[in-house]
Amino acid sequence: MSGADRLSQAAFKFKALHNAKNSAEFAQIVKIDSQYTTTVLRDVWNADGNWNALLTQQGTTAIGELSLMHFRTSVEFCQGNFVEAYTCQLSSYQAFLRAFSNMDRWGVHPLLAMCKDLYLLACRADYQLTSTGQPASKLEEATRAINQGFSMCMTDREPLLNISRKWGTYHLANLLFALYLRQKAFNMCNSMIRAIKTSELPSLDQFPMGDQVTFRYYRGLLAFQGEQLAAAKRDMVFALEHCHRDAYRNRTRILMRLTPIMMIEGSMPQSRLLRRYPPINELYGGLARAAMLGDLCQFDAIMQDKEQLLVSLGTYTAVEHVRRIAVRQLLYKIYLIDGKSSRLSFQRVRAGFWIAGLGDVSVLEIESILADMVSVGFIKGYLSHEHGVAVLSKQQPFPPIKSVLAASK
Amino acid sequence: MTDWWNQGQQASHEGSDKDWAQYYQSVEAYHSQHIPLQQQQQQQAAYPGYQPTDYAAPAPWYNQPYVPPPQPPQQLPYDTREYIHPTSGSSSISSLSSHIKVIEPVAAGYNTPLNHSPNGQYADYGMRPVARRSPSVTRGVIKSVSELSIHERNGGLADMEWRNSRASQAPLYSTVKLSKISKKKPVANGVLPLVKASSLAKMVGGTKPTGSVVEAPDWPPSLKRFVERSYAACTDKQRFSLEKQLNQIISATRANKKLNIIDWDARPLPKACNPVVRPGKGVSHLKRTSVCANFDASINDFGSEERKEQRLQRFRKEAEEVKQAAHASRLATMAPVPHTGDVLNWDADTIVGTCTKLEKSYLRLTSAPDPAAVRPLPILRQTLDLLKRRWVEDSDYTYICDQLKSMRQDLTVQRITNGFTVEVYEQHARIALETNDLGEYNQCQTQLKQLYALGLPGHTMEFLAYRILYFLYTRNKSDINMALAAMSPTDKQDHVVQHALGVRHALATGNYFRYFQLYANAPNMGGYLMDNFADRERCSALQKMCRAYRPRLGLEFIAQSLAFDTTEECTKFLAELKIPVLVDGQQPTVDMKAALPCAVAAMQKYEKVDIKGQIY
Repeated sequence: MSGADRLSQAAFKFKALHNAKNSAEFAQIVKIDSQYTTTVLRDVWNADGNWNALLTQQGTTAIGELSLMHFRTSVEFCQGNFVEAYTCQLSSYQAFLRAFSNMDRWGVHPLLAMCKDLYLLACRADYQLTSTGQPASKLEEATRAINQGFSMCMTDREPLLNISRKWGTYHLANLLFALYLRQKAFNMCNSMIRAIKTSELPSLDQFPMGDQVTFRYYRGLLAFQGEQLAAAKRDMVFALEHCHRDAYRNRTRILMRLTPIMMIEGSMPQSRLLRRYPPINELYGGLARAAMLGDLCQFDAIMQDKEQLLVSLGTYTAVEHVRRIAVRQLLYKIYLIDGKSSRLSFQRVRAGFWIAGLGDVSVLEIESILADMVSVGFIKGYLSHEHGVAVLSKQQPFPPIKSVLAASK
Repeated sequence: MTDWWNQGQQASHEGSDKDWAQYYQSVEAYHSQHIPLQQQQQQQAAYPGYQPTDYAAPAPWYNQPYVPPPQPPQQLPYDTREYIHPTSGSSSISSLSSHIKVIEPVAAGYNTPLNHSPNGQYADYGMRPVARRSPSVTRGVIKSVSELSIHERNGGLADMEWRNSRASQAPLYSTVKLSKISKKKPVANGVLPLVKASSLAKMVGGTKPTGSVVEAPDWPPSLKRFVERSYAACTDKQRFSLEKQLNQIISATRANKKLNIIDWDARPLPKACNPVVRPGKGVSHLKRTSVCANFDASINDFGSEERKEQRLQRFRKEAEEVKQAAHASRLATMAPVPHTGDVLNWDADTIVGTCTKLEKSYLRLTSAPDPAAVRPLPILRQTLDLLKRRWVEDSDYTYICDQLKSMRQDLTVQRITNGFTVEVYEQHARIALETNDLGEYNQCQTQLKQLYALGLPGHTMEFLAYRILYFLYTRNKSDINMALAAMSPTDKQDHVVQHALGVRHALATGNYFRYFQLYANAPNMGGYLMDNFADRERCSALQKMCRAYRPRLGLEFIAQSLAFDTTEECTKFLAELKIPVLVDGQQPTVDMKAALPCAVAAMQKYEKVDIKGQIY
């Protein structure tokens, strides 16, 4: 059998699977590294000894073009030409989209397989382009193409929910989140969340758990960026509870955002967590210990040390809020050393700050720090400027942080 | 067929972190009872990799008060030699607390009133005397505008960089044909009234504002002929404007060293010579005069159908003519680069202006720009100098803003991106900040960010600091995050940026004392930007003080804490919030408990920021 014949045979298989609506197998063979693709290409090479058959053939139908471009992609990919491979994959994907408008739910799975390949190829193509000094914009192009598939899923008008393409929405949304965050297009993420909110989709909890977890992780991440900590915590906790047990890296990523939120609420990570997740220990372990001990100097030193890392994760400003807890702990320490007196003079606090290694803090600054503490509710009592003392309340001058935050809500 | 989509809900997805709540413990777990320090240190030793605090380490920058570069050494309010440094002394609590008890401030006790100190300043409390900035920073020309932004550029360098895309092959004035294109026969001298070139040059030089026109010797003969022709062609009435135009043309070309390159014989005469510059203008001009002539007669039937029809036709005709003229001139200015494919070749379509007027008011373009109305770079340079002078002299912001906007437009339509562009935008941004026009400021800022990204020289750090402050004003948290992520460690070393970051840190940790200290010592124009949210932060600080202080607080202390220059200003501020000031003793005071609801109500109006001219 010549190479051209082998390719026609393969195209026939694509068409047959398409007609039979065999979702699983179709999704399997459109992957660029699938076993079937490898077999076909080996046969073609053994028959011809060149790729002329691939280059000369023309696809007549959408599925025919899809199969042809798919094999070209695979050849280019194996040869390491990722830019050409990306171009072929894009035209293959677009041929698929033409057929996809007539498919129903069974087409979702092949779509996801193709989108994922397109994404990975775009990354590689961009890498190859930048290494040769050319402008890299394949990822943006791929994002637009995948967005097309996303909106075809989301706005499907199939009346029967059971066979609607809408079931692919969240999976594609998650892929798009990854793409947008790579390009730092946060506003695109937010507008996508808004679009999903307004569309008539089945509720999120009816989707596969994997989609739910990933989607809520990204939604929580965006809420975290906008400092909506309550919403972020809800999503992150859900994601952590339902994340797959083997997905260690994903759980680490979730905890990276969840831990600062918990710390702000006055819950410091325990050694159990820190042992199980060394990256979390690396990031927040020292900070949590310093905050608990009221060791402001150490806290600031670690913050400065880890500033670049925390900023790149986007958690720097959140962790900064934990400093207030460290201040509270330091004041509590001063209060204990001072003999639990209900009158804490500003000068004593000042001396305490000096000993804690914070240098010479002026009384005015001490007063402003204390005023902040009292107004937040971390200290119960009042300040008397005339006498230069903070008059603490008789019972619970330092109420537990959790109760304070619960009361302020 | 297997349904792939519902399998996921099975138990295989249930994670192993069900007990995550036990991952966290409350802060108080450490301090539920009093733990001696030694015991704590033993506990710390249990953590591998935990370093006990090195107290000798310098505190990070945001814990030190912001120190502007020239700074007299600060006097500590009391003798610190009494303190025993914990690292040098014994570390047990009992010995430490015995040391604490010994310490007594030397200069002032805590019950000393604030204004008690001998020099009347607040030296007792370690607060520096508030150094308010001068009322205007851009207006003190010699001091700031000239130093901050005006760079004298030498002509050669400017020529090299003035158009980075096609510096070498681009003619400065495209409408002016270079001498190799055509050599027209000069007009016969006999026909024209003879004007001596030297006396002409003197005459021209007399009216020159800058007085930089030199005598004729370096004029090529063709230029002399050009001037003669111009004088011959113009009427007596036009003579004055002709002189002006000639001046501008010659000085501009001299500045660019094109005096010998331009083919003066082929150059069209200045506008003053022939009032019919654009085809059709003469016609309309005539028509207009005729309309004006019998204006009294026609005013009655202004709204009549007949006249409406006339007007409509006239407008149509004029519009068409103008369009044709613009098209023709665009063709003339276009470089001979053919379009390749369907990709628009921007270099070919970029125009180069020929306008030589310095001032132009801003008009938002609705069609392709006309080169005759666009000023080229050398003229724009002169314009900027003029505008800076004008701003210093009479500081009419409406005029300056209008002029700068038109300059920005001219730069944009000619696609000039170089150091000069940066300078124009920086100037406009600074002036906008000074007059509190945040909309314009933000437009300039957005543009500047892109220009700096191209690697153009400018005051990158200064404007980075402004950007952070602007984000603080708009309380745009995710943008602050992104700006922080984009900053390099060397950026953070800059003292202006450090000031802005210090402001951010003070706001994030709620340290209003430090915030107001930074506010009073803001470098550059940062103070003007911070003025915008000073009242908001004052309100929030006042709210905190109302919650914390009991029963009353002296007005003077409030004024000092909130960085007011005088108590009168503070009284005015409090009156706006409807907070009563009590004067029963000798010191005016404020009842803090009664003031709290007012302060909370005042904070409400700051919930939403009114963002003007927001562009990303």
